[in-house]
Amino acid sequence: MRTYPHLKGSFRAGLVALALATACPATVQAAGTLVVGMTAGNIPVTTGNPDQGFEGYRFVGYNLYDSLALWDLSKSDKPSDILPGLATGWQIDPANPNRWIVKLRPGVKYHDGCAFSADDVVWNFQFRMDQKSPNFFAQQFAYTRSFLTNVKSVEKVDDMTVAFETNFVESLFPYSLSYVLMVSQCRLKALNGDWAAYAMQPSGTGPYKFDKMVPNQRLELVPNTDYWNKDRIPKQDRLVLIPMPEASTRTAALLSGQVNWIEAPSPDAIPRLKSAGMKIVTNVYPHHWPYMLNHKRGPFTDLRVRQAANLAINRADMVEMLGGTAMEDHAIVPPTVAYYGNPPKYAFDPVKARALLKEAGCLPCKVTFGISTSGSGQMQPLPMNELVKAQMDAAGFDVTIQTMDWNALLDVYRAGVEKFPNYDGLNFSRGLLDPVNAIIKQASKLYWAPAGPNWGHYAHPDGEILVQKIFNEFDPAKQLALLIQLHELLGREAMMIFVVHDLNPRAMSPKVQGFVQAQSWFQDLTTISVAP
Amino acid sequence: MSQTATLPASPETFEDQAAPETRIRSYWQSVGYRLRHDKMTLFFGSIVLLIVLAAVFAPLLAPFDPYKESIIGRLKPIGWRNHTLGTDELGRDMLTRLLYGGRVSLLMGIVPVIFATCIGGMLGVMAGFMGGRVNTGIMRTMDVFYAFPSVLLAVAISGAMGGGMMNGMLALTLVFIPPMCRVAETATTQVRSLDFIEAARATGAGTFVIVRHHVLGNVLGPVFIYASSLVSVSILLASGLSFLGLGVRPPTADWGLMLSTLRQSIYVVPFVCALPGVAIFVTSICFNLVSDGLRAAMDVRM
Repeated sequence: MRTYPHLKGSFRAGLVALALATACPATVQAAGTLVVGMTAGNIPVTTGNPDQGFEGYRFVGYNLYDSLALWDLSKSDKPSDILPGLATGWQIDPANPNRWIVKLRPGVKYHDGCAFSADDVVWNFQFRMDQKSPNFFAQQFAYTRSFLTNVKSVEKVDDMTVAFETNFVESLFPYSLSYVLMVSQCRLKALNGDWAAYAMQPSGTGPYKFDKMVPNQRLELVPNTDYWNKDRIPKQDRLVLIPMPEASTRTAALLSGQVNWIEAPSPDAIPRLKSAGMKIVTNVYPHHWPYMLNHKRGPFTDLRVRQAANLAINRADMVEMLGGTAMEDHAIVPPTVAYYGNPPKYAFDPVKARALLKEAGCLPCKVTFGISTSGSGQMQPLPMNELVKAQMDAAGFDVTIQTMDWNALLDVYRAGVEKFPNYDGLNFSRGLLDPVNAIIKQASKLYWAPAGPNWGHYAHPDGEILVQKIFNEFDPAKQLALLIQLHELLGREAMMIFVVHDLNPRAMSPKVQGFVQAQSWFQDLTTISVAP
Repeated sequence: MSQTATLPASPETFEDQAAPETRIRSYWQSVGYRLRHDKMTLFFGSIVLLIVLAAVFAPLLAPFDPYKESIIGRLKPIGWRNHTLGTDELGRDMLTRLLYGGRVSLLMGIVPVIFATCIGGMLGVMAGFMGGRVNTGIMRTMDVFYAFPSVLLAVAISGAMGGGMMNGMLALTLVFIPPMCRVAETATTQVRSLDFIEAARATGAGTFVIVRHHVLGNVLGPVFIYASSLVSVSILLASGLSFLGLGVRPPTADWGLMLSTLRQSIYVVPFVCALPGVAIFVTSICFNLVSDGLRAAMDVRM
């Protein structure tokens, strides 16, 4: 028999290495270190407002930085709303409904030791909005543009007060303040205005401080023990963030102990994770997985076709396919949201759907949907879209699915229906954090793409009137009543094909303790401790 | 007991001697002879034939509708009820989807290679035979495409043109043209300076006649061998494009796309999830081995 003596040594060495790797896995973590497998494809940028969708805000943005208004993430039993953050309060100028006076929180310091003041707020808005600003940063301009559409100017009133001038009266303006993260002017000056250098030495006022980063691989944050809100000083020693866009990779990483927390495990992997003793947490949050429709041309300009599409969807089957990690969607926001009201419920009725299509003269009704193969909040886009197609085809539609990369879908979405008229609908998941982004921007011409996120150019005379009334109404109770009317109108109008709300599953090691899953895209990680 | 062998009587004259039996085979007969005696190639060739037949006759062989979903029956193991190979994430029959998927995968494996062979081969022969500036122009243009890895180039072209089977096939055709052109150009360059070409020229034969009768015959062999080896690469690349969502559109049955959607369910029915990968692996390796056999049979030096 032929032997290979020169390979024997290598073979033995390999066995030893394998045995060592099995006995002493390199994945053992120090006590108190929370290691997160994110769905993001890369580490979110650290230069202020992050990229990578709201996951970037969840793990990097709101940990390194604060905004003037912060989201209350302390409760799991009701939807999160904003509360004072770096501002202690805000009020409309009694003499000018276009002017908001914001009082700032005293005694707050950046991680670099510099004090936070009104100058910082003015500078933070300038470098994002004013192209003549010496520190103008195009990246941050792009990331915050959609939140600043109604900011005309920002001025310092005194060291602890700023005033915002808006383009039009907007009673819900404070929500915009929650999306602009306060970067340290002091640190950027020390780095001679070099944003690339700042990315590796960022400084905010948030509950975590930057420690180190291996680009494209991991970001490590440590607690800010001088944080202004003593209740939110992190209870773990270290927070490590690792981008893992592939769901199977995240699952394997959690099972092997490489991480102790993963975002969005595949529904089919959940039983396996449970059997390994992992904790699975879910909660309603302001998300929905709909099809935004073309309201300019094509079959969906007819209300009957839109209603037929909603009646054709068997949402119970969809929830079943997703292993119960979603809930049925019949309007825009989930029923837990205060302004849900009483929109119609689109129960699965393919016979009625077919009758409506016949009445509308569109049978079979050929429609084309643009979908992505993955993406932030897109859940399991391929099988979900295949199921929707099968259900709609069975009810009289003839659906063509056009797949594209997530960034390509974002381009189609941002450009709007005028530039891409060949799509009758886009499968685009949405964050519904506040009423402006959830329903107002979908109901008004003011926000038609590309100026806003109303992709299909939907408009309704009653909706326009309601939007104006809401913006001019400062009484919370009356404002809520108007919001309910608007939400019910959008539901009756079947302005989208409503499918499901994600229940935001995440899996974690049993050693992870103290997590409260807020009904939000953002989460408070400071309460978490990790047992050794 | 002794035995005596009786030799046939020797022919009396030289004319009575019969000529020895020799069979002079043509090149293609020789190729056929070698192939018939190459058991390995025959074995893998018969598997390829089976795969092709199964794909062609999928509508007759498939036990279920490839698009009929059943949420109750999703992700069932091999042998569940009448589903010989289990069901996928939407409860569709895996055997049916694999049979139909073979049609797309084979189509995307073979069609781009045929087009690339025609276009790349023609350009290569032109470059090799004409030489000079024509050669420089064609081959340097091809070098530009060579600067990109084939997978990256296919993804980039598909990404720019959008998903879909036609765009996928177009992208793969563009990817395969440069290497095919290079092979044809090299073979033509070797042939064009040989004596018989000079002889043909001396007899007054035109360029077209020389290329048609004297060059192509000598170039087609290497081009054909190379093309056959590209089929497996094409199947793999096409599956990769579908896996990335840049190939066929859902819910079309395609092995790459099936692999992509089923990978999330690997913890539920691992063997079912592996089936599209097995199909891709078996098909591409069979094509590769058949291509190796063809190369051996067609190489006159071996």
